[in-house]
Amino acid sequence: MSRVQLISVEKRYGQTLAVTDFSADIADGEFVTLLGPSGCGKTTTLRMVAGLVDPTSGTILFDDQVINGVPTNKRNIGLAFQSHALFPHMSVAKNIAFGLSMKRKPKREIASKVEEMLDMIEMTGFGDRMPGQLSGGQQQRVALARMLATDPRVLLFDEPLSALDRNLRDTLKYSILDLQRRTKKTAIYVTHDQSEAFAISDRIFVMNQGRVEQAGSQLDIYLRPATEFVANFVGDNNAIPGTIESIAVGEDGQRTATVSAGAFQLRGLALEPLSVGDRVLAFVRPENIEVVGGDIRDEADGLVTGTVEQIVFEGPTVRMTVDVAGTPLNVSASGVERLTLLDKGDKQVTLRFQDVSLVRQGAES
Amino acid sequence: MSQSIASRLARGSARQSEGGGRSPLAKVPTILQHVYIWIWLLIFVMPFLATLAYSFEAPNGGYSLEAYDFVKGAFLDNLRYSLELTLMAIVGNLLISIPAAYAIVRHNVPGKRFILSTLNVSLYAPAAVMGLSLLITYAYLLDFLPLTHSTWGLLAAYVVGTFPLMLLPIIVALRDLPMVYEEAARTLGANRLQSLFRIELPLLGPGIGAGILMTFVIVFNEFLVTLFIAGPSNQTAALRVYGLTRTAGFSQSTAAAAATMQLVSFVVVLVFFKLVGSRYLKGTYFA
Repeated sequence: MSRVQLISVEKRYGQTLAVTDFSADIADGEFVTLLGPSGCGKTTTLRMVAGLVDPTSGTILFDDQVINGVPTNKRNIGLAFQSHALFPHMSVAKNIAFGLSMKRKPKREIASKVEEMLDMIEMTGFGDRMPGQLSGGQQQRVALARMLATDPRVLLFDEPLSALDRNLRDTLKYSILDLQRRTKKTAIYVTHDQSEAFAISDRIFVMNQGRVEQAGSQLDIYLRPATEFVANFVGDNNAIPGTIESIAVGEDGQRTATVSAGAFQLRGLALEPLSVGDRVLAFVRPENIEVVGGDIRDEADGLVTGTVEQIVFEGPTVRMTVDVAGTPLNVSASGVERLTLLDKGDKQVTLRFQDVSLVRQGAES
Repeated sequence: MSQSIASRLARGSARQSEGGGRSPLAKVPTILQHVYIWIWLLIFVMPFLATLAYSFEAPNGGYSLEAYDFVKGAFLDNLRYSLELTLMAIVGNLLISIPAAYAIVRHNVPGKRFILSTLNVSLYAPAAVMGLSLLITYAYLLDFLPLTHSTWGLLAAYVVGTFPLMLLPIIVALRDLPMVYEEAARTLGANRLQSLFRIELPLLGPGIGAGILMTFVIVFNEFLVTLFIAGPSNQTAALRVYGLTRTAGFSQSTAAAAATMQLVSFVVVLVFFKLVGSRYLKGTYFA
């Protein structure tokens, strides 16, 4: 039960910047995910919180206390490794008991805690097995039990599921979320898998090249990407280059920009500090492009027409490539509408864009 | 696919049983293979068997255990002294090799490769050269230390001569040992020493065991370097056997002493393989 703060944390290896200017204030009981491609610095950040890596500069605090320089074994954290890291020469029970025996707890207390943990991960009676005799999923569950047995202040997860197969991953990620919710512990979870991040996080930090590109809720990240990198990294996206022609401020203070993208115009949410005349990329997701029936030819109100170049039936969705004035756009249609599209086989379609997000072009990604 | 494998297996076993039942000629290659292997084994153990047989010969032509009275008597002291020296050399090698292996594998020691190849010099150096060099070093360079003609001198010689045999398997084992176990131990509250003794050393056990075994085999049987350095009071078992051949000639009791030495080595190696098993060959739990 801890608030975790990182203030301008930086890590350099020689000339290489692994992490730079990382700041985060993670509330007690919050589940935060660091999401990004490999080499983006997410694991280094986690290891700095764990004390396995010393930051070059910056401050890390647990509950307002600076813990820079406090060795890992005194931080009272739990870390789940990608490779589960169960001690291969110890039984399951000994593994779970390890942290407690380091704390010199009485034997009887340790034994009852081990039983409790085995019950919790639904592996009662597995105490005498050796790690090598367990399946991958069981090993990772034992690793979770071992981590929770010492009642750590902060739970850290370093891609704990990436070595497992898909079905197991799906089950275990909800088990992890469930454990975290029940224990109400602060959790930092590192992954490169966005579906994992979206499923379990309160807040996501998208990282790239050592920097935080954007921090926010799933909806923020998905619908209102702050940078080109986030827009491209998270989910599928269409990028349409254009220029802001005007910005209208609505009653709720929302700024809607009209963007000229060559032969057509579109509207999108213009976050500060975008202004008129800026070159922007308009991002619109394939599933947020609506096909409005082939017979409407009205180009007002954000409707554009295009030529269907390819149409693929994928079962629950129909995927199309539509050429709009020379720009190929991916469109994904679902629901009953998709079947109509297939039946008609129209060459000309009219599209309506929804949830268009604007990102300044050429801004660092 | 699986069916075809199953049927192939069935066919294979059928063929085997046919070969066993029908044609005695089919067995000939197998028998020849076994004979060949046994001939080689016999050649390897022949000298030992000959010595053993000779030690049982009674002066009047029969067989007796008389020669072993000597082994149980005076030679026991030499055996004990050799075992003590070996044990101390093993401890010395461990104390040097474990920290050295950590330094070499886990830290960036400048000139790491040079150091490693230099260390091996003691393994490649001819024992006579080694013995002479140590004798000179003890007498002139380190004459302020009680090394000449002493147990300490022998011990130092053995450690210098054999610690690379301990160091190398530990280095290999440590290289194969993922950092993640140490890190896991640290996150669970173990300090450096707790992690070392509870996690790392047990996981390095097979590598360390290999080092112990090699140190034992070399030091317990070491003769030539000992011959140079030992004083009159440092009669190791090997030295005593050599001395006997010169003074008592090749008597039954000399053979009994030699056979006993061989047996001790043999038993220790067997026990080691029984305890540590095939992991010795792998170096660690993971390779």
